[in-house]
Amino acid sequence: MNKANETISNTTEVTESMSSSNGGMRYWRGLEEYTQTSEFKERLKDEFPAGAHEFWGDDTSRRSFLKLMGASLALAGLGLNSCRRPEAYIVPFTETPEWMVSGKSIRYATAMPSRAGAQALLVSSFEGRPIKIDGNYLHPWAGSATDTFAQASLLDLYDPYRLKEFSKSGQKISSEDFNKEIKGIRDATTGSKVAVLADVVHSPSRDRLRDELLNTMPGLTWAEYDPLISEFHAEAMELAFGKGVKMTPVYEQAKLVYSIDHDFLGTDLGGPGAVRGFSKTRKVEKAGDKMSRLYVVENRFTVTGGMSDHRLRLPFSQVPAYVLKLAQSLKALGITSTSIDSALSTNGKVKLPENVSLSWIKESAKDLMANKGKSLLLIGAMQPVATQLLVFAINEALGNFGKTFKFTKAPEYKPAGIKDVVGKASKGQLDTLIIIGGNPVYNAPVDLNFSEVLKKVKNVVRLGLHDDETTAAASLVAPAAHYLESWGDAIARDGSYLNIQPLILPLYDGITQIDLLGQFLGQEAAEMPMSMQVVKDTFLARQSAPPADEFEKEEIWESFVHHGFIKETQDELLGVFNSTTVSNYSIQNPLKNIELEEGKFEVVITGSYSADDGRYIDNAWMQEAADPVTKLTWDNAVLMSPKTAKKLDVFCKMNWEVKGIQTSELVTIKANDYEVTGPVLIAPGHAEDSITVNLGYGRTRTGMVGRDAGFDAYKIRTSDSPGVVTGAVIHKTGKRKQLAVTQEHHNMEGRAIIRESPLAYFKKHPDFVKHLGVESHSPVKIESFYEPPELTAEQQWGMSIDLNICTGCTACIVACQSENNIPVVGREQVMHGREMHWLRIDRYFSGDDVSEPEMLNQPVSCQHCENAPCETVCPVNATVHSEDGLNVMVYNRCIGTRYCANNCPYKVRRFNFFDYNQRELDKIYNPPFSELWGVSSPRGTPETIKMSKNPNVTVRMRGVMEKCTYCIQRIQENKIEAKVKARNSNDVKIPTDKFQTACQQVCASDAISFGDILDKKSEVYRRKHFSHDYSVLGYLNVRPRTTYLAKFRNINDEMPGADKLGQSSVSQIHHHGDDHGSYGDGHGSHGDGHGKNGHGDYSKDKKHHGEKGHEVNHATGGHH
Amino acid sequence: MANIFPRWTNWLAIKAVIAVICIKAAVILGVTYYCTPKYTRVGYMPTQPVPFDHSLHVGQLGMDCRYCHTGVEQSSHSNVPATQTCMNCHSQVKAGSAKLAEVRKSWETGNPVSWVRIHKSPDYVYFNHAVHVNRGVSCASCHGKVNEMRVVWHDQSQSMGWCLDCHRNPEKNLRPLNEVYNMDWEADSYHAQIKQGMQFVKEWNVNPPQNCAGCHR
Repeated sequence: MNKANETISNTTEVTESMSSSNGGMRYWRGLEEYTQTSEFKERLKDEFPAGAHEFWGDDTSRRSFLKLMGASLALAGLGLNSCRRPEAYIVPFTETPEWMVSGKSIRYATAMPSRAGAQALLVSSFEGRPIKIDGNYLHPWAGSATDTFAQASLLDLYDPYRLKEFSKSGQKISSEDFNKEIKGIRDATTGSKVAVLADVVHSPSRDRLRDELLNTMPGLTWAEYDPLISEFHAEAMELAFGKGVKMTPVYEQAKLVYSIDHDFLGTDLGGPGAVRGFSKTRKVEKAGDKMSRLYVVENRFTVTGGMSDHRLRLPFSQVPAYVLKLAQSLKALGITSTSIDSALSTNGKVKLPENVSLSWIKESAKDLMANKGKSLLLIGAMQPVATQLLVFAINEALGNFGKTFKFTKAPEYKPAGIKDVVGKASKGQLDTLIIIGGNPVYNAPVDLNFSEVLKKVKNVVRLGLHDDETTAAASLVAPAAHYLESWGDAIARDGSYLNIQPLILPLYDGITQIDLLGQFLGQEAAEMPMSMQVVKDTFLARQSAPPADEFEKEEIWESFVHHGFIKETQDELLGVFNSTTVSNYSIQNPLKNIELEEGKFEVVITGSYSADDGRYIDNAWMQEAADPVTKLTWDNAVLMSPKTAKKLDVFCKMNWEVKGIQTSELVTIKANDYEVTGPVLIAPGHAEDSITVNLGYGRTRTGMVGRDAGFDAYKIRTSDSPGVVTGAVIHKTGKRKQLAVTQEHHNMEGRAIIRESPLAYFKKHPDFVKHLGVESHSPVKIESFYEPPELTAEQQWGMSIDLNICTGCTACIVACQSENNIPVVGREQVMHGREMHWLRIDRYFSGDDVSEPEMLNQPVSCQHCENAPCETVCPVNATVHSEDGLNVMVYNRCIGTRYCANNCPYKVRRFNFFDYNQRELDKIYNPPFSELWGVSSPRGTPETIKMSKNPNVTVRMRGVMEKCTYCIQRIQENKIEAKVKARNSNDVKIPTDKFQTACQQVCASDAISFGDILDKKSEVYRRKHFSHDYSVLGYLNVRPRTTYLAKFRNINDEMPGADKLGQSSVSQIHHHGDDHGSYGDGHGSHGDGHGKNGHGDYSKDKKHHGEKGHEVNHATGGHH
Repeated sequence: MANIFPRWTNWLAIKAVIAVICIKAAVILGVTYYCTPKYTRVGYMPTQPVPFDHSLHVGQLGMDCRYCHTGVEQSSHSNVPATQTCMNCHSQVKAGSAKLAEVRKSWETGNPVSWVRIHKSPDYVYFNHAVHVNRGVSCASCHGKVNEMRVVWHDQSQSMGWCLDCHRNPEKNLRPLNEVYNMDWEADSYHAQIKQGMQFVKEWNVNPPQNCAGCHR
């Protein structure tokens, strides 16, 4: 059979099983697993995909490796120079800085600006270098949580490919010369010929300088542009509420969230605060607890869609029609609103795609009616203005404004847009354009032809962090200071006023936006940094009653810098909904019902979970953190549903070219004279005839990391319709590309690993998790063949992960990477399953229909088994148990046999196949021994990257195994602190919940809890005693210290298809009921047994511990 | 038939075995002695850029360790003092001494003094000073009688076995907390030390880690 035939037979396999039930297979991570293709089964036998035992990318085989090793060892024996102890030096300070205690880190409050509003941060600085970013736990919005980007921004600071020099027309100049150039430009021009194009940072100080600039240079154009900020939303807000109003959903208050094309838990401006608020309404502790309900209507699976209780696939362009139908249903249910009426009056019949059942809309509308004033109806910001207004009108009619939506004051100034700048420039009306931040040459709408227009402007001044496309097009360039090097301020998403203070002097003499604007205004720098003076002035001016006394002024300023924020008494607005304006608008602009033409597709363009709008393309941590849904790393792809892929006759499959690697076909998307080519990725749960592409990739001018990553979706994005391109045609190109998709790595082979139930089922069967999987049959605590470890310590560590509130956002992965010095491995190595993340998030789909699955997430890291299988097979005792219950990894003993990884049922051990800290400086991956082949450039770690390492965690070298340590450095630090405090008393216990692991600290949804499982007051003790607590693969009797809380779906029974939702786990209980008698009878006793012997009996065990620890263990084991 | 092998070959095998055993024993003994920190480290006494004399400052003048090593009670690292600390006194005392030229130069130029490192734990060892000195382990236990050293040398082997000796039997080295910085303190007798040490272990709940993760992470 030739290759083509094989492909076809395989796709038939996939598509045929789409419609049929696949029997016992309830949870699956990829299509290959879903269909159980022979290649997939073959792969399960291997720990790693393709040729992990062979080097790759060159001809080096194991045999030649051994030869070379032998040779190099022989050579090494010739000289024993390395045996001499080298002379090392201790270099203390000449004058010790205040607060500095050598060897201890200090935390400073600062903030990270972003398009949606800043995040308050606490950054740890170790001997002057920032090493870890955490949320500011004092700040009420997100506490110690941050999003993934904030975690990764640390690496941006140390990026060796940052813009480092001031330059004029490509020639390096000094900062003084730059200052002179700026003055020259200012003196030679008039305001009307100057435009500023800035990114969106919500900085009151920058706004103040902007106003001064507009005063001194009348006629100046001040424009702001961010590709992911919607002008439609701003317009709709202004029409509905007038100028200067900001609307914020209050997720804590909502009993029902109805999200239409709005990924509030993911990229759409919600951020950790939204996740935190929402997860508060989703915490289930015992049977009978209530949780909020989430309806999601979207074209592709998002993080929000994965969390939904009811989800509807709907093409982006059909959302207006859907909202109309929803409004009609609500009206039929008796809702009264003039604005809804006028919107409905202009629209006749609407047609929706086949998969949308009217009863879905009707029943969900009933639920909305039942939750008046307690619901949130959310709409995607890229949807047309009229649609957004109709959604506002529905919320108004439901009485949600003022209850689940709050309104606060926002700046009234409305900056110009990028269109205005381009308009002026193309007419030759500009001679100076100052581009601050952003990257418009790369991300401006394609129809504006920005880079061509730029050539008509004489002076293009650029302040940028990276040497990017815009920098290349500028005539005068200044490196920007990273926010960790800057003085500044910003408004947080909750409206509080945050301070940005520098943690380190600019590494490359970068200047801040405030510095540049100040220079342009001709302000002279005083003694202190000018930007600090500007921020201080802004801060004092914002005080409602500024103190007259200089001393008091200093005092409130210092407290502001110290805390990082002040809670300003934001005048809460009433948010008066302007129904007349809205009605008029909707009559004039009736909602368009776009019908999809046969053979044409809509292409939805969204920001990326990894690269955002392109700004994180050079950030290796973000590149390697897989997309939460597609699990794609280092690339973006053309996402489409399995049926659409079949229609287009395109494939993306495993083992096509190389065993174990996803290979996909490249397709060209053509629309409105624009085209772009990218690899197909088949996405279960995607709407039919709809295609999704992520922005942010395909950058042409980047550092080493971002090179050749993905394709540039901006090339088809126009200014009129930034969210979607309709009427696109897709062509096959016949070319292929290999993708680094991690979704089927580290597979645990479909056992009852993830457990869920509908909330109502849980109410009736509180202990359902105990009746799943093999452990419902296996004796509970059988004796271990090996001697159990002596768990004699007073405090025993354990973790509980709540699957019900985990959104799968990957912030924990990046936080862990930052805390534990985990290397990135690069695209090629990810393809081979050699990613080093200690924590992975398994994304499962469930259900029988590949087109409409449900999605679940499960973070998996080392489970710290008490009877750890890895420990028994290590020939050199490199992994052993500590007395406080940790499975510890001793790097300096490890000789790299990898037996432990083979024997780990959870597949959480990671092996350093290469020395990732000694790679060639300009490559992310280089084949082994390339220095011997003579193709090598200097190796090592760039100095700046070394600065980002956590000094309390070993940097591992080639050939050692590593894995999650439960952040042992934090445990030890706190143990030591407790002992230091105890001195000659006997109280050496770490106080309850005193510290957090890195993943726990960053988690906005509070899904992870960690602590002493013997301490009855601790959160982890409480959680481990919930009835829905279970161990993954519990029947192996490895007794993992990490346990999980089951996932629930709050199903509305009236909804169509409700009987099938959230059933994938519990339906197995009925199965086994058929075989072994009904549930609750035959197995009742099992249930009791479990209850007695879950983790709960830890305290009992503990009593017996001490000298006789394991005899007792044996005895309890013996009972069963 | 004549013997193919001459007579002396009868003993060859035994001789060879004995020779191998002797050589092996010599190699093992050699390696155990000459490659241990006891040989490679103890006694290491490099010349420092400034001939700082601990026996003068601590022994004769009675200065406390913590006057210079300020971080020892709070941090993992016991810091070597900044030039500023030296200048506290030496801007007045012996202000013109030739021995202090390096210190004065450092103070004037802002370039620090490069002291030669004597004690170095490997990168994969995370030793913490604070937890030891706050729980009754004296400086002298690991660094020797620094108050009598004109030039500081490496006094103890500081090998892992040496660490574990104490972690297994902490009573041998525990002393009252107010004697931690008294380099000359000694219990009345070995038995008195053990008795008192046992009492501290019990009263203070001393339980030094013996698992790998205590020092390696």
